[in-house]
Formats: sequence, structure tokens, C-alpha cells
Amino acid sequence: MPRIYFKTADQYVEFAEGEEVNVLRMAIRDGIDVPWQCASGNCGTDRLVVEEGAENLDPPRRRERARLGELVDEDYRLACQTYTRGDVTFSWDPDQVGLDDEPGDGGGSRTGWAGTG
Amino acid sequence: MAELMSSSEFRVALEQAFSGTMAKDASFSRAWATGKLHKQHFVHWATNHYHYIGPFGDYLGLMYANTPDHARDAKDFLLQNMYEEELSDDRHTDLLIRFAEACGGTRAYVQDRNNAMPFAKGMQGWMYYVSGRENFVVSSAALIVGLESQVPSIYRTQYPTLINKYGFSEWEAEFFDLHITSDEIHGERGYQIVLKYADTPELQQRCLHYVREAADMRFAYTKALYETYVQPDLGPWVEEDEREPALVG
Repeated sequence: MPRIYFKTADQYVEFAEGEEVNVLRMAIRDGIDVPWQCASGNCGTDRLVVEEGAENLDPPRRRERARLGELVDEDYRLACQTYTRGDVTFSWDPDQVGLDDEPGDGGGSRTGWAGTG
Repeated sequence: MAELMSSSEFRVALEQAFSGTMAKDASFSRAWATGKLHKQHFVHWATNHYHYIGPFGDYLGLMYANTPDHARDAKDFLLQNMYEEELSDDRHTDLLIRFAEACGGTRAYVQDRNNAMPFAKGMQGWMYYVSGRENFVVSSAALIVGLESQVPSIYRTQYPTLINKYGFSEWEAEFFDLHITSDEIHGERGYQIVLKYADTPELQQRCLHYVREAADMRFAYTKALYETYVQPDLGPWVEEDEREPALVG
């Protein structure tokens, strides 16, 4: 069964063989503490470094390319914009904020907003 | 009498509630994904879609008013969903009109309610009814799990066809690209709300009922798009592998 390994949180999620899944959706579904804000490819809070498995990801589309700019060439992807069909490993800076925000200006992540309890 | 399901059991039940009648499998969606439609058909689609989802902020606002203060996370989600529909970036209905214009339509045509099918008006009325009259967790199940969470599965098959077969630019087709990803997250957050707040057997069953009804509504609406606008041009829909050999290819 393919799996997404969220290395910084040391947690992974598995999904069915043959499926393509959205990375941020899977993180939210399983309560994994990936930073994110808008989930629309605007803020860049959910940028992740692809450590392994880039060949299993769909190519970035216009919105993601525009937001990440040169970071696309440095193995970054936006979790909200990225689908995977196989094993992949991601890491991130747990304190990161949106690409247009400064740390501490209220642009930080919005994780764990609605756990299923 | 139904018993309270665990969170994981309830999630499976919600997913199964609409798995047989997903709009991606309706004739209009299949004709789109397989490149059979003409650009004029897309104008009709955009016009009807405008009247179906154009008031989405209204629906969410009604749900917001029906959500109790103790469900603060649910209220925040609805408010953010409204903001994203209308203000966070390009207004979603403007992206829809941008696509219609790329197909030869006009803003005035799309926005004219007289150009929408009765099915689209019925869909709109149903959404106003559910969002205004139902418990917030039930309306979340209906509109967000039953309808919004289906969107990525529909557009992920249609978007590549728009780019690769019809030659639309990514800018012209941005409405679809945006919703493929944003509705993944909206849909998932809808699930989280429903799983958390449907805390009685009765509420769980009512959520399942409305998810089924939402899927049926969207499937019937999508099928009607084909029958109204495409069938007069292309005949009744037949899947490629079910066609007579002479008709294929």
C-alpha cells in the first residue's frame, strides 16, 4: 500500500494502490500537523520539501508554479496543490509562515482546527 | 433502530452514500471527459453552473446562522469557505464567466436566469432549502460532503481534456484548476465537521439521507445538461466501449 511519510511529524498515511490523493487532504484527514492557511495555492504556508518520491507526484500547475517561483526548482511543493500516486516523503520547517508573511505577524499556520475528537 | 456509528464507520457510510451516483459518471461529465462536447455546450454548462453555485456564499451564510456558537470551528470553517468563494482571490463566479467567455459566451448571457434549465433552478432552490432549514451538521453533510467533495473527482477528468484536447490556456481554465484542489480541502473539512457533530444515531442517519439526496440531485442535474443541450446534437449518450464498432473512433 503506498504511503505519504510526513517526516517532520514522523507520521505517515497510507492509501489504496491505484489511487491519486491530495497531500494536504490526507494530512488533515489524519490530523497530521502540517502548516497550512488558505489551501488554495495563494499563501504558500504549506510548502513542503520533497525528500523522496518526486516521480510519484503530478507536475505543478500554473497556480503552484506562480506561487513557488524558483522554489519549484529546489524540490518544494505546496501540499494543497499536490497529488501523489505512490510513496513520497516530505519535510518542512514547523515554524514556517506564508511566503508573504513575516513570523509573528499572524500569518502562521492553522492546523488542528477541527479534530474529530 | 440505528445505533451510533463510530467515526470510522460513519465516514465509510458517508462515502458509500454517494458512491453509486457520482456526477462524474453522468452522461454530460463523461461526454466532457472524453472530448465529445462543443464549446457552445460549455457555455450552457457555465450558465447553468452559475445559477447552481453562484449563490454558494448565500448557502454558507444561512448555514453559518444556523450553527450554534459552541461549534466555533464549524462556524469558522463556513466563514472561511465564504471568504474563499468571494474574496480571497479571484471571485469564483468570475473565473466561471472567464471560462464561458473563452468558449464564446458573454457575462450577460451567463448571468441571465432565463438561460438556465429548470433543473438548475431546482438545484438552487434545494440548496437554499437545505442550508436555511436544516440542522447545520445535516446541511454540511448535504452541501459539503454530498456536493462539494465530489468536485475534484469531476474536474480532475475534465481539466486535462480542456487543456490538451480543446486547447484552452491554464488561465482560461483556472476555474477548474482552483476547484480541483480547494474543494479537496473544503470536502475534507466538511467530513471533519460532520464526523464531529453528528453525535446521535438520528443525526447520523439524517446526514446519510441528505448525502444520498445531494448526490441524486447533482447526478440528475448533470444528466439533464446532456439531455437538454447535447443530445439534440450528438444523440443519446453511449459509453465508448458500448458503441457499435462502426460508431467508435
